[in-house]
Amino acid sequence: MGAAGGSKTEPRISFYGGKWASTVPLGFFILWAVFQSGVLGIGDTNGLVIGALIGTILGLFFVRGDWKTYADTIFEGMTQRVAATAIVAWLWAGMFAETLQVGGFVEGLIFAADALNVGAATFPAAAFVLCGLLATGIGTGYGATVAFVTLFFPAGVLIGANPVLLFAAILSGAVFGDNLAPVSDTTIVSAVTQDADIGGVVASRFKYAIVAAVPAFIAYLIMGSVLSGASLEGAAALRDTATAPGLVHLISMGVVIATAVAGRHIVEAISWGLVVAVGFNLALGLSSVSDILVFTVTEAGTFTALPFVAVGDTAGVGGSLYAGAIGFFPLIVLTLLIVSMAQIMIRGGGFAAIQEFLLNSVATTVRRAEVTMVLGTAAINGMITINTAAEIAIAPYIARIGEKFNINGYRRANILDANTSALGYIFPWAGGVLVGYQVMVGPNGLGAEYGPEMVVNPIEVVPYVFHGWFLVIVFLVAAVTGFGREYVPDRTSGEVSRA
Amino acid sequence: MSALDKFLAGWSFRSSTPDYEPGDTIEVMVTGEKGGEATARIGDSILRIEGAPDDAVDTRVLVAVETWDGSTHRGTGTYRETVGGSAF
Repeated sequence: MGAAGGSKTEPRISFYGGKWASTVPLGFFILWAVFQSGVLGIGDTNGLVIGALIGTILGLFFVRGDWKTYADTIFEGMTQRVAATAIVAWLWAGMFAETLQVGGFVEGLIFAADALNVGAATFPAAAFVLCGLLATGIGTGYGATVAFVTLFFPAGVLIGANPVLLFAAILSGAVFGDNLAPVSDTTIVSAVTQDADIGGVVASRFKYAIVAAVPAFIAYLIMGSVLSGASLEGAAALRDTATAPGLVHLISMGVVIATAVAGRHIVEAISWGLVVAVGFNLALGLSSVSDILVFTVTEAGTFTALPFVAVGDTAGVGGSLYAGAIGFFPLIVLTLLIVSMAQIMIRGGGFAAIQEFLLNSVATTVRRAEVTMVLGTAAINGMITINTAAEIAIAPYIARIGEKFNINGYRRANILDANTSALGYIFPWAGGVLVGYQVMVGPNGLGAEYGPEMVVNPIEVVPYVFHGWFLVIVFLVAAVTGFGREYVPDRTSGEVSRA
Repeated sequence: MSALDKFLAGWSFRSSTPDYEPGDTIEVMVTGEKGGEATARIGDSILRIEGAPDDAVDTRVLVAVETWDGSTHRGTGTYRETVGGSAF
């Protein structure tokens, strides 16, 4: 709730050029991200890190007086809980997903898809539903994206599904879960910042989610038939390797979902899933110990008899736990830099200036206020890569604007979270897209393993994230027509029991 | 409110100018003041609140509605008690 303090206190950083100059770091970074990933088609996360660093340095030259306050604000932003939440979720989900992968889950899914006759045309629709289910269970759309791009995506592409549509369908599923899951970080932020109880928020947003999800599912069925798949050499041979035992990891996923839905913390839920997955791998011979964790030494010695110590050409540490976690290091660094740039904008008054403008010039009727809330949330989330960080930044404005028209806390929370979730998975620089792309291009990525057909240019998925787009459209229509609108006098919220 | 009721709430198209009946006691956010009197804007309807504290703006209060004009969507009421504040 770092933004809350920013909305009530005077800006602590003074800039040459006024409050708007506080948007220089984030603005520069967005231009960099658009140029790099959108124009040049380079999805390298490390490149975005450099863009964020240069943007942060550029902002320094606009600071009046001592630069120390600006530097301190960088640390203030990086130490926000929201960044830590995302980082923890990625590390755990990365280890879990990679462990399922070495346990032959992809081969099992290919087997299941063949057995259930889920063909290339219906695979994206199935991926949307299943990824939505997983994301609703584990509460992290990023984690679900990692798991599904790692596991489902290659299976679908090998069967002949269109890679762009399939990636977009997975992102749509992530949007659905991020929006609806009671354990989702965005759901929790949306509820607590609008003084609403989480259970009531989830129940009240179900109507919007389902109104968007049904047409999205139909759209994936239709487009699955229209768009052709990639031509992969050797696909037939790989399909011959499809085996049933890897399907046991449906239970590993089920453990994570059931534990999370039961209200356990996401770390606990994924840890249990990880324990079960490792157990299955070892008990059923799906992978060796060294596939999960291995210390590689260059010369044989006392410890090389251990199953997790091996002799190789280069000393190092490896295995699914290592590869799964380390794959997210670039994104973690980027996340820390982005939340610090957002904090500079808050402390510099840029966010407050936007709020004043909105209340005085744009949000002059309840319809216009709600449209402003929808578009404002969408715009901020379009700019800030990590959607939970964007949500926290915009939350005070949604509360203030909504309260000025006595719009109920449930409605405010739903407007806030739906557009946060949706925009976090659409544009090429969005965190959800980047984590999925990272799985494709990382050192042990799908591209390296299967070939370039397994790598999707992030900008190509933009039009096909149907559930994301439909959710934004549903809320625009709801703002104009009054669908689902509730006022403060209509009902009071329960206790905000989970912060 | 039952769990089912929570899922079914809001499945309707709500007016931008909600109306209330004299005798209703409603909880509202005080959104401004005019001529020294607190007002609550509910959607595009306006409720004038008599007897509210001077610092009532941005607090949630219970108000007894006394008059309401359904054509102009304007009404008056009497302050009962303060029950909360702004989310921020």
